[in-house]
Amino acid sequence: MRKLLSVLLAAAFVFSAAGALSACDKQGTSDIQDKVEAAASMTEEELIAEAAKETGNFVAYGNSSRIVDAMDGFVKKYGSQLKLSSSNTSASKQSDTEIFTLLDTEAKSSNKSKNASMVLIQDSASLNLYRTSTDLFCNYIPSSLGDNISEADMVPLAQQYINKLFIWNNVGDDVPTFSNVWELTDPSYDNKIFFKSPNSEQVNMNFLIMLTSDEWSGKLEDAYLALNNNTAASDVGEGKTYKNYGYKWITEFIANCNFTINSDTTMAQNLSKEDNAGNMGLFVLSKLRDDSVLTENLQVAAWNEGSDGKYVKIEPFAGFMYALYAQLATYGPRPYTAMLFINYLMTEEGFGPWKSLGGYSSNSSIPVTEGDSTLSFWRENLVFEDGQYIISVKTEVEDYINGLL
Amino acid sequence: MKNKTENLAEENAPIGKGKKFLNRVKRFFLTPANVILIIYLVILVFMIFYPLFTLIISTFQVSSITETLFGVKYGELTGLWWYRMFASDMSGTYFWTPLLNSLLMSLLASVIAILYGGIVAFFITRTNMKGKKIISAIFVFPYIMPSWTLATFWQNFWQNPSIGTGTGGMLYNLTGLSVPSSWVYGLVPCAIVLGLHYAPFAYILIGGILRNMDANLEEAATILKASRAKIIYRITLPIVLPALVSTFLLVFASSMSSYAVPKYIGGDMTVLTTYMKNFLNNGYYGQGYIMALVMIVLGVAILAANQYITGKRKSFTTVSGKSGQVSYINLHKANYVVATILTILSLFCAVLPLITFALESCCVIPGDYSTLTLEYWISREQVGTGNGLVGILFEKQVWQAFGNSILLAFLCAVIAGSSGVLIGYAVARKRASRVARTVDSLAFLPYLMPSMALGAAFLTMAFTFGLAKSFIVLVLVGSLKYLPFASRSGINAMLQLSGEIEEAAIIVGVPWWKRMLRVIFPIQKSTFISGYLLPFTSCMRELSLFVLLSAGSTTLLATLLDNWSQWWPQSANALNLLIIVTVLVINFAVNKLTGASIDKGVGG
Repeated sequence: MRKLLSVLLAAAFVFSAAGALSACDKQGTSDIQDKVEAAASMTEEELIAEAAKETGNFVAYGNSSRIVDAMDGFVKKYGSQLKLSSSNTSASKQSDTEIFTLLDTEAKSSNKSKNASMVLIQDSASLNLYRTSTDLFCNYIPSSLGDNISEADMVPLAQQYINKLFIWNNVGDDVPTFSNVWELTDPSYDNKIFFKSPNSEQVNMNFLIMLTSDEWSGKLEDAYLALNNNTAASDVGEGKTYKNYGYKWITEFIANCNFTINSDTTMAQNLSKEDNAGNMGLFVLSKLRDDSVLTENLQVAAWNEGSDGKYVKIEPFAGFMYALYAQLATYGPRPYTAMLFINYLMTEEGFGPWKSLGGYSSNSSIPVTEGDSTLSFWRENLVFEDGQYIISVKTEVEDYINGLL
Repeated sequence: MKNKTENLAEENAPIGKGKKFLNRVKRFFLTPANVILIIYLVILVFMIFYPLFTLIISTFQVSSITETLFGVKYGELTGLWWYRMFASDMSGTYFWTPLLNSLLMSLLASVIAILYGGIVAFFITRTNMKGKKIISAIFVFPYIMPSWTLATFWQNFWQNPSIGTGTGGMLYNLTGLSVPSSWVYGLVPCAIVLGLHYAPFAYILIGGILRNMDANLEEAATILKASRAKIIYRITLPIVLPALVSTFLLVFASSMSSYAVPKYIGGDMTVLTTYMKNFLNNGYYGQGYIMALVMIVLGVAILAANQYITGKRKSFTTVSGKSGQVSYINLHKANYVVATILTILSLFCAVLPLITFALESCCVIPGDYSTLTLEYWISREQVGTGNGLVGILFEKQVWQAFGNSILLAFLCAVIAGSSGVLIGYAVARKRASRVARTVDSLAFLPYLMPSMALGAAFLTMAFTFGLAKSFIVLVLVGSLKYLPFASRSGINAMLQLSGEIEEAAIIVGVPWWKRMLRVIFPIQKSTFISGYLLPFTSCMRELSLFVLLSAGSTTLLATLLDNWSQWWPQSANALNLLIIVTVLVINFAVNKLTGASIDKGVGG
């Protein structure tokens, strides 16, 4: 029996090697880059004509459930010209890691007719890493955008921005009032700040990582000094408890956080109930558009109440902002269709499914929802992700934060 | 041309060793049972050891681009993951704390399951308590329902404004009573919920023995004027001890691999499964795979202990056949009190969750019953302003996932069930052979592997073959995981069947396949069918096994719920109810079709 098992395990090794080899057997390098360059000089009609020649399913994955609605709108608009219908198109919500896994698997498959051709990714750091280490993604900038997009949003193409803000319950006498984030590290906030665990929400982790950068730890230092009559913290500096003010704020903020709720929707719903008087959360502003949230019971940080442009500035930030990046999938069967879809997503019509409170297209010609502040306003008030920086310190800071959770 | 003498000489000449061996091989493969055993030996060794092999290799490999951030190259071999888990400064956070929490949670859950299940089993089988049938039927409900059902209900019921979500739950809203946070989130509630979920398991195992116990033993003690307490302590408990040990170990192993319960009400507590999922979600595969491997090793060790302990008590006779008369303990005035308490407890765990899910799926504002609506069920338009979904009965995603779940459950049931029949036949026919014993053990091995860890092992295999997130991997892992149910029922069915029946068919020249279809299968139909149906129902409500493997077009009902619960609570509650009702309907249909029910052996 032992001999038999040895033979069988040896066979398993052979299978393993065969599997690994077959996995490496890619069907040559894709010519998607050439197509992107060609598309740059095409009119929409020419792009439609090229897309109509393509075969295979048109599949898109996105780290946003609304990609499903966007796909429906796209099929309604271009379906007859491109011979697309619900039977040969599909869009689904996937986490970033799932998208990376799916694209990696699809790139290795022999039949690529059902591969994804386009994706929307949330985690700037991982996307950055994958873009430099693999050939799974290809960037495409719609020529129709012209000057309506900032250069910083072009590579990778930021389709839109989403913000997470400090939002608190304003019912009763115990309404939180603060203008400096260091106030949130006070023991009186113990267990009162709802925040989705950075362990399960990568953008939350990215936000915390950003605070350890020179830029943000510097701003946090200024804010600390402003709040403490210019007295520096004794535990910050080389060889002390905290490397910089970013680490100090993260540690003391996490100590006050309540990680019970693992959904921003539930957080908004629960926080808006009278039961939650005196509590606050750091979550997606767009959740306030839901019918199940009692918005009259909530106050949003740095919210511009009137037409006079006045608001309570929170030093040094009122929350953070992250993007959804649109990318072509290199091994997808319909690159031209994908480019047309990205063009569509960058129009007001294509942005429709996301166009509400807390959704900001990177196309500056698309106005924000009435009452909301503009992207440029939020740029002044929020922490924006820098994928390159996050990658450079990710493992170290993640270990540190995980040790606190 | 050879003459007659030469021919005779040739015939009588000694046969060479090679030819002898070939003849033996030929003869061996002429027996269908042998062919089946060899085929399954190869399949099972590959299906079990190959994923394990790739899992072990992957713990030494850089398997994702994200892992290159640690300064290692993609694809290269490294011991870094083992170092980080066991020897680095982070090993406490990443491994030892989750392990300790998992062990404590499982230990406590096992004790609760045994105490609760054992006490109910005792009252049902050994006393004259009223309402046994109804209590018995309701009591096993939580075991049929998905494990997360009780966890979400637990939170909905005990929550209060000073803790957790900061809102009032059912108890608080009705009475104003508040319980401490540690009763709603963390180790204790996880253990209680798992204990309640697995209590029916203890009830079935312990109740089965108590019911069949020889009453003479207790009667003899009564005649000798032993007190009731002494009888329980000196006679009843020692008899049920093997069942207690078995229950303890099996509940312990199942709780160790529980993912949904600690995810919903674990609070800040980290356990192996939730941390493993985090690692894999964030692309840190090597460290996640080490956790999976540790869980498999623990699972095998626990079940090996179970085999060892129960194996030692093999000769313990509980059924003598001498006494059919069971002496019931008269509860006197306590009769109705006990029956009422047990009914309320059973209803609390079985029926109340369903009611709360139904209500919550209809509330626009969670917990506010003045905002009831059916739109989360039947709206053809998008629900609310922030929800991109239509009512779940018209939602494309739901029906796609429903179709996937049904197809997966069907395929797993067919593969596992048919394999169970064939393995049962072959093992029973060749009971004495070493190959049969090996196949028997291999077919039971997947039971010892925690679901999520087995899922992780298959994920590594899927990566090797470029099949990650494909449906075929779900079918393979599901069929393997549920094979133990089917092979056990197959082997038991075949052992009950006398060999003479098949021999009679052989004598009249009936071919093997016809013997199986026309003779063997019809006789043991009901047992075989349960070997098909158990995998089907289990597959429909499985989350841990598939959560790492299903995505996109292969999304299942349970994994869809896992996603939805993060964004759309009302629709998630509706989906949860849909899953529970589907499982209950299938279970009911199974009972009606086969006449089998989970609590049948215990009675009521």
